[in-house]
Amino acid sequence: MSGDGEDDRDDGDDRDDGVPIQPGGTGGEDSVLDRARAALDRLARASATERFLLSVAALVLSIVVGTVLVLAAGRATTCETAAFVLTHPTPFGLPRLFSMGFCFDPVAVFDRLFFGALGDPIKQGWGPLTPVRGGPLNPFRQGYELLNPQMAVTLRETTILVFSGLAVAIAFRAGIFNIGTQGQLVLGALGTGLSVLWAAPFAPAGIVGTVLLVTLGLAVGAVVGGIYGAIPGALKAYAEANEVITTIMLNFVATGVAFFLVANYVRNPDSQAVETTPVPDGALIPPLLFEPRDDFSFVALGLGVALVLGVYYMLERTAFGYDVRTSGLQPDAAEYGGVDAERTVVYSMALSGAIGGIGGAIYVLMILGKFQTGVPSYGFDGITVSILAGNNPLGVGFAAFLFGILKSGSTVVQFATDVPPQLVGVLRGLIILFVAMPEFFRLLARGIGPTADPEARAVAADGGEVDDGDAGGRSDGSGTGGGSDE
Amino acid sequence: MSRAVHLDGITKRFPGVVANDDVDLAVERGTVHALLGENGAGKTTLMNVLYGLYEPTSGRVVVDGEEREFDSPRDAIDAGVGMIHQHFMLVDPMTVAENITLGNEPRKWGGLTVDRERARREVVDLSERYGFDVDPDARIEDVSVGVQQRVEILKALYRGADVLVLDEPTAVLTPQEVEDLFEVFDELTDQGKTIVFITHKLGEAMHAADEITVLRDGKNVGTVEADGTTREELARMMVGREVLLEVEARAGEAGDPVLDVADVSVRDERGVTVVDGVSFDVHAGEVFGIAGVDGNGQAELVEAITGMRRPESGRVRFEDEDVTDWSRRRRIDAGMAYVPEDRQERGLVMAFDLVGNGVLGSQHTPPYARGGRMDWAAAREHAESIIEEYDVRPPDPDAAARALSGGNQQKFVVGREFARDPALLVATHPTRGVDIGSTEFIRERMLDLRSAGVGVLLVSSKLEEVQGLSDRLAVMHDGDLVAVVDPDSVTEEELGLLMAGEYPEGFDPGAAAEPPDPGDVESRRAGEARTDGEGR
Repeated sequence: MSGDGEDDRDDGDDRDDGVPIQPGGTGGEDSVLDRARAALDRLARASATERFLLSVAALVLSIVVGTVLVLAAGRATTCETAAFVLTHPTPFGLPRLFSMGFCFDPVAVFDRLFFGALGDPIKQGWGPLTPVRGGPLNPFRQGYELLNPQMAVTLRETTILVFSGLAVAIAFRAGIFNIGTQGQLVLGALGTGLSVLWAAPFAPAGIVGTVLLVTLGLAVGAVVGGIYGAIPGALKAYAEANEVITTIMLNFVATGVAFFLVANYVRNPDSQAVETTPVPDGALIPPLLFEPRDDFSFVALGLGVALVLGVYYMLERTAFGYDVRTSGLQPDAAEYGGVDAERTVVYSMALSGAIGGIGGAIYVLMILGKFQTGVPSYGFDGITVSILAGNNPLGVGFAAFLFGILKSGSTVVQFATDVPPQLVGVLRGLIILFVAMPEFFRLLARGIGPTADPEARAVAADGGEVDDGDAGGRSDGSGTGGGSDE
Repeated sequence: MSRAVHLDGITKRFPGVVANDDVDLAVERGTVHALLGENGAGKTTLMNVLYGLYEPTSGRVVVDGEEREFDSPRDAIDAGVGMIHQHFMLVDPMTVAENITLGNEPRKWGGLTVDRERARREVVDLSERYGFDVDPDARIEDVSVGVQQRVEILKALYRGADVLVLDEPTAVLTPQEVEDLFEVFDELTDQGKTIVFITHKLGEAMHAADEITVLRDGKNVGTVEADGTTREELARMMVGREVLLEVEARAGEAGDPVLDVADVSVRDERGVTVVDGVSFDVHAGEVFGIAGVDGNGQAELVEAITGMRRPESGRVRFEDEDVTDWSRRRRIDAGMAYVPEDRQERGLVMAFDLVGNGVLGSQHTPPYARGGRMDWAAAREHAESIIEEYDVRPPDPDAAARALSGGNQQKFVVGREFARDPALLVATHPTRGVDIGSTEFIRERMLDLRSAGVGVLLVSSKLEEVQGLSDRLAVMHDGDLVAVVDPDSVTEEELGLLMAGEYPEGFDPGAAAEPPDPGDVESRRAGEARTDGEGR
């Protein structure tokens, strides 16, 4: 009924006509505390800042909940010596009344998860209170190198997720639920591997050959992924096929086709795994600042960052981006505005697939050096990354980095502690779960915050319609009459 | 008589704005009270205070002689105040009875399940008591807007409302449905209910209300008896100056045809032919009006002309070119402006700000885009000029379209389309939901465009609008143009009959259509009297 399709989504908290909006009842006293709160509130309202603050709050809460989980699990397990003992201080020789041992140390777990992923930048035993107690001010560990192998793992994961996240974000912004980034990425990776293997003998040696081969690989990955993305796009546009179904199914097709081709035609006879022969070293993306064995290159990450900026520019500053955003928000208005709905669907799906395909190409040319079946689920993680980022290309960069830290940190936790990998997975899931529910924290902030801007709430309570005496209406204070002043 | 509602000195401040400034409103029990004012006068804010959606900055709310403090609509409902919003809050796939009882369903088996039988019976009883004609088992998505509104009223009554507040209840209704609604008002007040309704239409306020309170700029300008006032007085109170209620006399000079519609048939989504072989043309410098009850194919005909829908058969020619197969974008670029019927679905992207909305339709053409790149600075200037010229409030190009009131949204859409420098303007309900000051302005601008040689196709369900503005007036009924008449000589009764598909006695459609070129317009199915309508 309500004629406001899109805004239902935003003001979704008011389906009944009577959702009570609690009028925050703090009186008029304008204390310093109130003003500070108001300032914080305004800060929290600015969308980018808000997003950031919410993420921090989510992180903190997830660590708190995670700590409880780790402790509980540590109680349930049996071990020789407790990794963590909960007790109270015993000054003046007071007797110890209470002491409880846990098999897992939550501090160590989260320390490994986050700082381990960055290669231990912080000094042993350094805490925020250390300088106050007379310790060193500089928290960084002696001999810490930013470009360490664990950092390479983090950035490697981040890089691929930037591409897959971006691929998903474009489609989502166009209002298309592209679940098929995984398939597009797999076929892009296969295409890259095969084309580079084919072209390697013809390429000149040295840097020129590398540039040519890498460019070819990326281009083939983009084209193959793009075509594979355009297929469900065209099916949606011209045959009204639901893209969720088609893209999910095409994922299976892609994985199956890749396996079949590699297993039957281009399999490396010297290997147990179903994989192609490795591409020559000269065809790999040069590591730049890192060791070749780190499997990470700033060239690829740079390309990812460039694409993030490019996609942002495309969406916000180009006519095509305007079409895409309009179609995604309000298809009827897009059609009214002269947007060719079918073409926009196909183009944005092709673009999404192409970026996913490049992700696959980088997976082959930076990490593996060959195509191997059983590609990790980067495409599906890309969906989470994109949603985490609110489908905003700039946010994708940050979300991918958070994901990269969690992925890389998980392995560190497993090496450094006795915590089972499943529990680490649970902690990872918790963090993402909390970060992905900003509305919960908004509610929380409203509950404890000051009298929030009544206008903003009223809008939500009013069926998305600020009719009539609308608040901003005369914000300039002019208050002129209703008549036009001709 | 006693006062059902008394708002005493209500002031409502928003940050930086005073939406209501010391407003008094007293409503007697068993009367209909109209709250009249322009868009942005503070009518809805005041009613939201009464309904508990807003907490007043100062002032008292007295219901039934008792001072109340409503924290939420729930409190207001408990006190017997029900509100029907402009946009209905119904669940489309559920039945009328389910919607009415939603949230207050009678229960059985110890509250475990809904007693559907009893719910249905209660709804039938309720609608019979107030003489409502609604089918309790119909699904909301299948019934007309008028019936949906009645369901909303019944919902409020079911919850025990004694005071009904209706926000712009007539904005979405056809003239006939408006009449029916006012009859419902009579029935309700006879049974002791009290009605407050918001409107910006003078005629309705005078026709339906016992008392009228006029708000302007958040202040109560005065309360008058409906019988003891005149349209001119009310208009002056609303706008604060004299208003021309009649549009100026027409002086159009028609040129060549800009639009030639030949034998166009259109089917809707269900495959039903809703436009059946319609032919007409619109000349440069004339206003061609199409009158008719909503849902007789006007919407689909307009969509076929503007490129939103492909006609089943027939041709559309625009400035000597066959545009039947042209894309929507090509038609926009060729100079076709279009004020759509539904501003919130089509005319605006609700989540975009006004800068983004100002370029909707011209996002690929200079000066707003060059080489595929948007020039947001030019777009901003454009939006600002529309805002200024059409008095869009708030005058903030960064405001999201959804934050504007309906009337201001409409003003912005109209401003954008008028600024396109079109050869043809297709305007459907261009003044729907717009206050009289702006209505006057929009109509004047439309006539300016016409004088500048633009062909205007005007579709409206407001009879005085099509009649007053058109140079030639066609009447559409059941997918067909039943007659083209001279708007000056035709009477309202004749139009009414034609809209119902009947020909008035002694009416000669061919002879009535005079300027500028009646020969082009055929009157099909002459003599065929059809009273049924496909409906909506």
